[in-house]
Parts: sequence; structure tokens; C-alpha cells
Amino acid sequence: MGNLILDILTTAAILFITSAGLLIIFGVMKIINFAHAAFITVGGFAALVAHQIGLPPLLAPIFALIVGGVLGAIAEAVIVRRLYERPLDAILATWGLGLIMTQLITASFGRGVQFLPPPISGTVSVLGAEYSLYRIVLVGVAILIALAFTALMTRTRLGLSTRAVIMNESLAQGLGINSARVRLITFGVGCGLAAAAGALITPLTSLDPAMGLPFLIGAFMLVMVSGGSLPALALACLVLGGLQAIVSTYVGSVLGGLTIAVCAAVALRIRPEGFARV
Amino acid sequence: MSELAKEHPRAAVGDTGLWSSRVARRVAVLVVFGTLVLVAPWFLDAYTVNILVRAFFIAIVAVTVDILWGYSGYLTFGQAAFFGLGAYTLAITFSQLGFGPGQALLALGAAMVLAALLGALVGWLSFYPGASPFYATIISLVLPIVLVQLIYSGGNFTGASSGVVGYFSFPLMTETWFRVAGISMLAVAVLAHIAVSSDAGRLLRALRDNEMRCAYLGINTAAIRITLLTICAAIAALAGAGYAAFGGIAAPENAGFVFGTQLVVMVALGGRGMLTGAIVGALSIELASAYLSGILPYAWELLVGIAFVTVIVLMPSGLFGLLRAMAQRWTPWLFAPAPAVRLGDSAPKARESAVDAVVLEAQGVARSFGALTVLSDVNLTARRGELVSLVGPNGAGKTTLMKCLADGREASAGDIRIAGTPIKGMVPHRIVGLGLGRKFQAASVFETMSVADCLRIARSGRDKPSVLRSCAALNLPAAARSVVEASGLDTRFDEDARNLSHGLKQALELAMVLALEPDLVLLDEPTAGLTRSERNVFATILTRLVEQDRLCVLIVEHDLDFVRQISSRIVVLHQGKLVLDGTVEEVVNSPLVAEIYSGHQVTDDPAPTPTNTPEARA
Repeated sequence: MGNLILDILTTAAILFITSAGLLIIFGVMKIINFAHAAFITVGGFAALVAHQIGLPPLLAPIFALIVGGVLGAIAEAVIVRRLYERPLDAILATWGLGLIMTQLITASFGRGVQFLPPPISGTVSVLGAEYSLYRIVLVGVAILIALAFTALMTRTRLGLSTRAVIMNESLAQGLGINSARVRLITFGVGCGLAAAAGALITPLTSLDPAMGLPFLIGAFMLVMVSGGSLPALALACLVLGGLQAIVSTYVGSVLGGLTIAVCAAVALRIRPEGFARV
Repeated sequence: MSELAKEHPRAAVGDTGLWSSRVARRVAVLVVFGTLVLVAPWFLDAYTVNILVRAFFIAIVAVTVDILWGYSGYLTFGQAAFFGLGAYTLAITFSQLGFGPGQALLALGAAMVLAALLGALVGWLSFYPGASPFYATIISLVLPIVLVQLIYSGGNFTGASSGVVGYFSFPLMTETWFRVAGISMLAVAVLAHIAVSSDAGRLLRALRDNEMRCAYLGINTAAIRITLLTICAAIAALAGAGYAAFGGIAAPENAGFVFGTQLVVMVALGGRGMLTGAIVGALSIELASAYLSGILPYAWELLVGIAFVTVIVLMPSGLFGLLRAMAQRWTPWLFAPAPAVRLGDSAPKARESAVDAVVLEAQGVARSFGALTVLSDVNLTARRGELVSLVGPNGAGKTTLMKCLADGREASAGDIRIAGTPIKGMVPHRIVGLGLGRKFQAASVFETMSVADCLRIARSGRDKPSVLRSCAALNLPAAARSVVEASGLDTRFDEDARNLSHGLKQALELAMVLALEPDLVLLDEPTAGLTRSERNVFATILTRLVEQDRLCVLIVEHDLDFVRQISSRIVVLHQGKLVLDGTVEEVVNSPLVAEIYSGHQVTDDPAPTPTNTPEARA
């Protein structure tokens, strides 16, 4: 039982970490970043590079955040910026961007699977069960990301501009807010978070050019269900991630892997506004 | 008519003559390609023939992707799942039951039926009034992923990760397969071409352009999308079954989402919204990747990715769209002009209700968003032959009331009846069926379609569109026709709606709404942004609609002079409450109205005086 509770909490935390970047972009820009998976992969390989050049493991996610953020900002300036009027085409262009990035990673690092030593290893005894310490640490990281993002949005000038752009872009522009800059930073932050997520989850999985893909559908569904709101995303991760953990434990891992996609699809059909206004 | 004929000398050819010349041209093209498919195997090497057979089957699915995405605007990655379902159905049938004519028929039939059922289910999940296009796309992404997971966990039955192999299939030579697959692809292309250029096919483009306008023209958009997906799913499954029958294997990647994205890449590169583009895209990518992915394993996929992004960003109509634009510019004689539009009268709708029947009854209507109450306890009745103006300061709830009357899911409380039928919970297209027409505040037309096509779409509820033919005649009821003629739209039938002036767009939308032959018309600030002379034309038209055609018109208007000129009754809304309902004289002389508009009471906005009309609204 203790094990299941920890499974639920840590699954929700991992889901939250891997979908927060997608949510930020969707919430502000109303487009879906289909290169999200590729940015997660970039983060994983950034962690590998950080390890190779001898950075301390704790700095790997920060390094990934910076690499992903810079790449994301470049992608916004070169590609995404031209597609705000065509949101479905933005899906396709970011998907193509993901293809390009994945191919470049494959060309530089090879197709093979690699492993990174976890920065924190060992288990800890919680609620009467031996549990991986790293997974528990990730719960704290998820909370940290949520707090940092909330502070960014409510305590800073950039956050104020961003909220203004979300509510009424043309009015915000009229008031002298540079919405192009807000979009550039948002896309950069979203991609940077995806990359940081990649660095954070690498110790739990293996490292290969397709490592981001399994997280993509879950992240899409969670973001759709939460309608662009961070607290709603946290709730959706807890509910749907919890269901996934329960189904995986008691029914099987194949069905468990489909839980989020199927439940979210049906939930949205019945209640199109999702978890956004609970 | 004579003017039109002068403008387009080619269009002066009689309808049948033009039709037959177009058909002759198309038959000639078809004969050329058909012959090419039949003789090609003698000239191509075995490897290329083999690649092309697969490519033909894939091109068939690409055509369905193009119809769904390029024509109807539904970006889908899910056609791969239906293709895979078809492939697996055939492979499993042959490996479980053996090969034979009966089994082959069973396999093909089962593939189509299963895919159609799954397509209908996915359609029901993806399309409902008010669904977001993102949601439908994400569902199309989930579908192949779920299907592949099920294949992986299907054990021996589905062959798990290695797929179903080693069954006997049709004993045909590769050359014969080439001809069968090639002719099948041409047949699908011809059928698809007939369907998309028919009257019904025009509806798909209307859905892509403006789904909301479609719903308020009484079109059941969800039903059309679900039907289309069901048909496209069945066709994709047949292509998949052919693929597996030829290749002797059904593998998970035939159903996977990577294949689904490849299909979209093919259509995007070739040219969306053009069947030739989809086919050329599919064939050339399949051929090129067969030859190049071996030589340049990494670079090939990188090149495809770069080409894809470039095309999406810089030339959304694809390579073929670019070619076509160039051809239209340099060799316009290649393109036959559209047949001239014949304006005709439609048989008037039999109106059952009396000339002064009550068409709108609203009782205790309220609308609140959370704690904010926008409308409360509104009671309103209107009859045929009445023009009721709805006035009130900005934020009084006028547009909200209009929304509540046109969409049964809007009102938070109260009872609204249109032509005697309660509309609680009813979706817009069904309310339109009760005799309601709604014109939006900002002109809402089908931007990429011609004026005549916009009007035809509006008539499609009444004159059932044909799936096979495209009709040159445009039959309009008298009211719509008078708007078309008074505004001068009848000289610009061939022009795209997006090129019209603001005033003409408003007139077009009004004509589209009147083409529905409604008993009750809702107009939300129809004269905003119009010139004085345009406004006078509008007033004449409205007066005629009410007096001659006995329509009931409910209009939101800020210009009190205009209101005084046209109204038979005025209703005043203030802070979400209906405060006055009376004749023009009663309302104009009421001290309450003076108070509301002069702002002595609490109003948030500067009071618009009767001569000062605010153009912009919050």
C-alpha cells in the first residue's frame, strides 16, 4: 500500500515535470509544441554532455535548461513566429522541427542506447516500503518547478506582461507590452523546461534519440485536460497519474500506459472544459 | 446574365457544351494515366515495380488524408491506424482461415466494416458542437498509439512486435499487382475528385473555412465530419488490406503514428487540398526514400524534415500548389473558367404559421458566468411581421441575449421557445432548423469561397447537395435575391468572399441568412461600419422583409435614428434587465431611456447620444 501511494505521487511528479513546459507554451501562445519530445531528448543528451565535461550532476538539469531554452528561442524566432495565425500548421512545423532535432542528435550521438549514472542513488524507507530515493526527490523538484513558475508569473514584471498577453494580446500591445518578446521568452522557457525534464528523467530511463516520445502523448493529454492552467495540470497529473499507477499495478503495464490517453480523451468528450474550472 | 456572359466569353458556351468539354479533357487525362499504369511494368525494373505497388496503396491513404485535412480542415495522424487495421484484418484472416476467394471477400469486407465502425467511434469522440480542432488532432494521434499497444499485447494472434507473416495470399505476379494497385489508386482519385468538386464536396471547404457559420446555416457539422471520417477510414482499410495482401506481412509500423505523420508530410509536401498533390507527394516520397534512405541513412530523414518545415512555413500549398499557381499565371488557357452562375428562384417554402404567429417566446431568461450575472429574468415575445430593436448601453447584455436565443446551451435559466418549440440544450444547427437565422456582429462568411458558393452553402440545408454533380444554377428565395441584387453582389458571383468590401461582406452574410428562409432573423449591429447610403439600402431591405415577407426581425442597434426609422417595437436592456418594451414613441419619449443614456444612473461607459454611434464595442 505504501508502495502504491509512493508510486502515485512519483508518477504524478514525473508527469508534471515532463508536461510543464508544454503547458506554459500552450497557455500563453495557444499553440501545441510538437517538438516537445525532441526537447526532452535534447535535455537527456545535455545531461550526458554535462557528465562528460565533468559538471557536477546537480547542475545537469540547469545546463539542460539553458541549452533547451536557447534552442527554443532560436526555433521561435526562425519558425514558430510566422505561424501564430495558423495554429494547426504550427503543430506540423514544430513536429518537423522535432524530426530535424532527432536526426541531428542521432547523427551526433548514434542510434545506440546509453546510460547515465543517477546523481542520487539508493533507497529510502518511507511508509514501511523501500523506495528509490531519486524518485522521491523528483516529487520535491516538481513542487519546486510549480512554485518557481508561480512566483515568476505573479511576482515579476515579465509575469505581469505574460498574463496581460494571455488575457488580451491586442490590448497588451496597445499598452506598450512587447508581445513578440513575451512569446519568444515563453517558448524558450517552455523548451528549456522540457529539456530540464529530460535531464531529470534520464537517470530513470535510458538515453536514446527517441527517449522523449513516450512522454509526448501523456503530456499532450494532460495539457489539453488542464486547459492551460498550472494548478489544473497538477491536479490532472495526480488524478490521471494515480489511475495510471493503479492500473499498471493491478491490471498490467500495457493498459497502464494507455490509461492517461484514454481517460483524458473520454473526459474531454464529456466535459470539454476539462479540469480547468473545477 | 448577359453581362456575365460578356465577361467570360468561354462561359458563353452552353452549360452542356462546357460540361462535356471539361469531361472530355478529364477522360483524356485518365486514359493517359491508365495506359501508363498498364504499360509501365514492361519498362521498369523489378525493384522499382515492387516499390511502386506499395507506393500506390500508400497514395490511396494519402488521398484520404488530403480530403480530411486539406479539404475539410481536420489535421489527422490517425489514418495510419485504419490502414493498419485493414492490413491486420487481412493478414489475420488469411493466416487463421487460409487463403481462398471466400476468405478474401471476408477479409476485405471485414476490413472495411471494422474500420468504418472504428472511424465512426473516433468521429463521435472527436467531433461535437463546439469541439476544438486541437482536440480532434490529439485524438487522431492517440488512436494509432492505442492500436499499436493492442497489437503488441495480442500475442500470437497479432504476432506482437514481429507482425503477422507467412500466410498465402493472391497468387499474382508483381506486374499484375502493379496494374491492380495502380488502377485502384486512379479509381480512388477519380471518385475523390468527383466527390470533392460536387455540391456536397463544397461543404467540406465551408467546414474548413468557418465551422461556426456552417452550424448557424443549419448544417450538422459533426454529422458531416463523422460520415466523412467513416468513409475515409473504410477506404484506408482497403488500401491497408491490399498492402498486406501484396507484401505478405502486416507489421506494427503499418499502423503506427510515425506512419501517420509520414502521410501528413507527403500531403503537405505535395500540396494539401489538391488530390494530385497528395498522390505525387506520396509516390515521390516513397520512391525517393526507397532509393535514398539506403545511401544516405541520416541525411535523407534530415532532408525530409527540413523540406517539410520549409514547405509548411513558406509555401503552405505545397510544391504542387506552387506549380499550379505558376501554371495559372503563365498558361491561363489551360484552366477552364467556372461555368457561369445562373441566378434562379427557388420554390418558396410553405409557411405553416399564420402571418402574425408568435415565433419567439422567452421567459425568465438568465445568464451568469460564475458569480457574474449578465442577464436576469428577461421576458420577450415577438411575432412575424414585427421588427424589434434591442437597444441599451454597452455591456447591457444585448449580444448575450442574442446568443441565448440562438444556442440552447447558453442560457443559465429560463424558457425560450422558437416557433413554439423549447430550445433548452439544443445545438445551433437544430435551432436554425426551427426557422431561426443569425447574422453575426462581425461579418462571417466563407473567406476562400466565391460569392455564389457561399450562397449555395447557405441553401444546402434546403436543396440537398449532390455528391456526384455540381450545379451551375443558384436558386435563391425572393428575400435573399433582393439583397443580392440591391447590393450589387450579383455582378461579383465569381469573386472570393475575402476580396469583398466590409459592406458587401455584411450584405453577403445577410443574403446567406435569408437564403435559409427563416421566420425569425437575429441581426447583431448589422450597420456598424457601413456608410450612410449603405445603411439606407439596408433599411429599405429590412422594411420589405418585415412588411412583405412577414419575417420577424430582432436587431441589436446603437444608432437610435436608424432604430426609429425601421422599428415596429423597441426593447431596452439595461444592466442585464429588460427595462422597457414598447412602441417607438413610448420608448423614445420615456424618461427612463433618457436617464440610461444620459448617464445619470450608474452606467460604466460614456453615454452614446442618439446621433453618435459607437463603432467599436468591447
